Amino acid sequence: MIRSSAEAFQVMRNVAQNPDDYLTKWKARHQQPVIGIFPMNFPVEIIAATGALPVIIQDSREPISEGNTILAEFYCGYTRSIADQTMKGQLDVFDAFMNADHCIQLLGAVDVVREMLSDKPVYFEHLIAAMDDSWTKEQVQKKVHAFIAEAERITGTSISDEALTSCIQSNNRNRQLLRQIFEARRNGDAQFSPAELQTMIVSSMIMDKDEHTALLETVLAEAASKPRDNRIRLHLSGHFCHAPRVELFDLLEECGAVIVDDDLYTGSRYISTDVKESLAPRAALADWYFDRNENIPCPTRVQKTVNWDEYLINALNKSGAEGVIVMMAKFCEAHMFYYPELRKALEAQNIPHLLIETEHEGIPVETLRTRVEATIERIRRKSPTRQTTQESA
Amino acid sequence: MSSATQSSVNRLKSNDAGRNMISDYWDRIFTANERNAQVVWYNGAALNPIFQAAGLEWAHGEAFSARLSAQKLEKSAQLAAQEYGYVGELCSYARTHLGAALLAKQAREKFDKGIVDNADRDDMASRLPMPNFIVNCYAGCSTGQQWDDFTHRLLGKDIPIFNVSLPFLWGNRTDAGYLQGQEWEEASDYVADQLYKLIDFIEEQTGRPFDWEALREGMSYIKQAAEIRREAMAMCANMPAPTTFWDWIASVAHINFLPAGPELVEYFSKIREEVAQRIANGESAIKDEKYRLYFDGIMNWNKLGTLAKLFAERKVAVVAGRYTHKPFWQEPQLIDTDDPIRGMAQHYLLCPTNHGFQTIKNFTKNDCEFYGIDGIVFHSTRTCRAFTGPQQMLARAMKEEIGIPSIFFEGDVADESFYKGELLESRLEAMLEAIDVRRSRNFIASN
Repeated sequence: MIRSSAEAFQVMRNVAQNPDDYLTKWKARHQQPVIGIFPMNFPVEIIAATGALPVIIQDSREPISEGNTILAEFYCGYTRSIADQTMKGQLDVFDAFMNADHCIQLLGAVDVVREMLSDKPVYFEHLIAAMDDSWTKEQVQKKVHAFIAEAERITGTSISDEALTSCIQSNNRNRQLLRQIFEARRNGDAQFSPAELQTMIVSSMIMDKDEHTALLETVLAEAASKPRDNRIRLHLSGHFCHAPRVELFDLLEECGAVIVDDDLYTGSRYISTDVKESLAPRAALADWYFDRNENIPCPTRVQKTVNWDEYLINALNKSGAEGVIVMMAKFCEAHMFYYPELRKALEAQNIPHLLIETEHEGIPVETLRTRVEATIERIRRKSPTRQTTQESA
Repeated sequence: MSSATQSSVNRLKSNDAGRNMISDYWDRIFTANERNAQVVWYNGAALNPIFQAAGLEWAHGEAFSARLSAQKLEKSAQLAAQEYGYVGELCSYARTHLGAALLAKQAREKFDKGIVDNADRDDMASRLPMPNFIVNCYAGCSTGQQWDDFTHRLLGKDIPIFNVSLPFLWGNRTDAGYLQGQEWEEASDYVADQLYKLIDFIEEQTGRPFDWEALREGMSYIKQAAEIRREAMAMCANMPAPTTFWDWIASVAHINFLPAGPELVEYFSKIREEVAQRIANGESAIKDEKYRLYFDGIMNWNKLGTLAKLFAERKVAVVAGRYTHKPFWQEPQLIDTDDPIRGMAQHYLLCPTNHGFQTIKNFTKNDCEFYGIDGIVFHSTRTCRAFTGPQQMLARAMKEEIGIPSIFFEGDVADESFYKGELLESRLEAMLEAIDVRRSRNFIASN
């Protein structure tokens, strides 16, 4: 029985840091399969509707060793970590795997999982990435039906509309609570640190949603608003598929910044969009795929009518962020393509930004500190109401 | 023990005529805007027969990056891309092409203002004609669709773009395999349907009806050329090999994007004749062939001559490769020249990076057995995550299942800064020694 906010938070932290413990206990308790889900677009409600637990597979902090023997070292840290976890038997807790995303690096890693864990189903349906085409919607609907059929096959449980609706409601409730917390941060509340927010998101990706929602409710019941101080306000942008190291958040704060908003996958992007409860559930899950890209454009999709750069400028206007830290997971091709568009838009608005490429192992803290401090100083010099470091001295 | 000797590359003579065909093609592309021809930019699949039938000029993005790199003219485009903000780890085909797009756009803007800049005329990277529209049809790699999306954005978003989405042939079902299974049939129908929609789009762009007869005629030439090419490739199972992977690299442009016509059939016919003649004469592609290797990886265009020489000097015939032998109309029996769309769709799906690992393993194994391969050279292509994805699993599987050793060397499609020549040489020599040792053991055991 969780009694306090601190206890609830500790549970989330434990799950985020050590998912296996939670998953092993969950399986023992429920006698149901645990299905590993690859990011970023799979509708997890489908799996939950069978009684199984959908878990978005996380990057491991363990240094990559055996993974480098099976996947090229110029694949992104997340995909190499998946290969590494596979080779080390760390994904054995999962009974099957599902993927909806066609990123070539992700597919490379998922193929490693399929080959090395050949006794487990590893299912992929390609959710079409060209969002504008007249046939895209019908294709996405077909893929949702295919995912449902496969989930039924591997779990042996048929999925009713009622079960889907119930899972959609659970997931929406969870997203809504998390959005409430992120919205408060955007509006000046600094009670939760960026690392704590990441813990909430990552644990949501792993846990049973009703269980996670109960923890969030406990945390929020004791929450007390804490006004943000006058440090430089930053927006964190990017970092797909996996979480950036929290040490980077600490570094930004040590340099005199406060993070007021983000579009990270393990942040606002994950919780941006609810599945419409007003529609039939199968149709609603297909719509969710399109709605997400409208709400926070993703560089892995191509859609003429939405622009991540425009979204970013609007987000900065809403949050009052004064600068942007673009966090790019090294070798992430989709992000590499989009970065110049972000750069142009930010420069056109005279908004300082800094590109940080993150690696799976090692954070060159002191090199980054110099660059972050220089960016923050640039922001200070721009703003007549702020003192520069020199003036403060 | 192998040792380096004087270069002994015996290039296929009939490829010489092919160089002019490529130059003529690019000259026509470079003058397209001046001639007020309608231009389409595209990437990935060989849609050129459709464009040709529609009376368009077609400029293939990867082909242009490859040409710049092969001629060592890629640096200005790569620099432009870097200055614009593209990170150096981005696919170098895309990075080079996007840089070329920036330079071409800048040159066009100057031209429109009446500024004649000799530097632009002299720099091939600046000479792409501005497109009237863009078509994307990219199998295997997710990068392909994003690349064209950013070309579209970089050029100002006013130029129409059409996406053909090619599903990855993952192989979920037990009946899945190369050219077989429900997944294959459904994907073929799905892509064929999109090609008909593409033709509707092209009719809108050109303002004239599509010439179906021209497409049928073009595809009949391509089918003939592809059949002849496959026959000539199969002849290379002969020992010693009459041609090498590097000869087939020299004819990739022809089969992949040059105009379909009788000259294409004639070109490949001459190659087949020369290959047959070499076999009849006992003439080999390299002097004193001692080893036969398979090349896995996309071509390292900056190093074509270097690599051909490096292997030949060590008496290595690189006989076949995934990049040359598994794409480019390689299953001509699928093409119905009276009704070519579905067979074309199937070829677009058959890109050698568009399959799950098991399919890639099976066709690699078949090729290694067919061509009598002693070992595999994996080009660990730094910015091509599509080709490199399955390579390490493939190396393991080939060793375990058919006892073939392999080495990896680092390089790239279009960015020569990633090439590690010394590592290749030392690793190659080590593998050749291992092959010698294995042969000696087998000889002793059999006597």
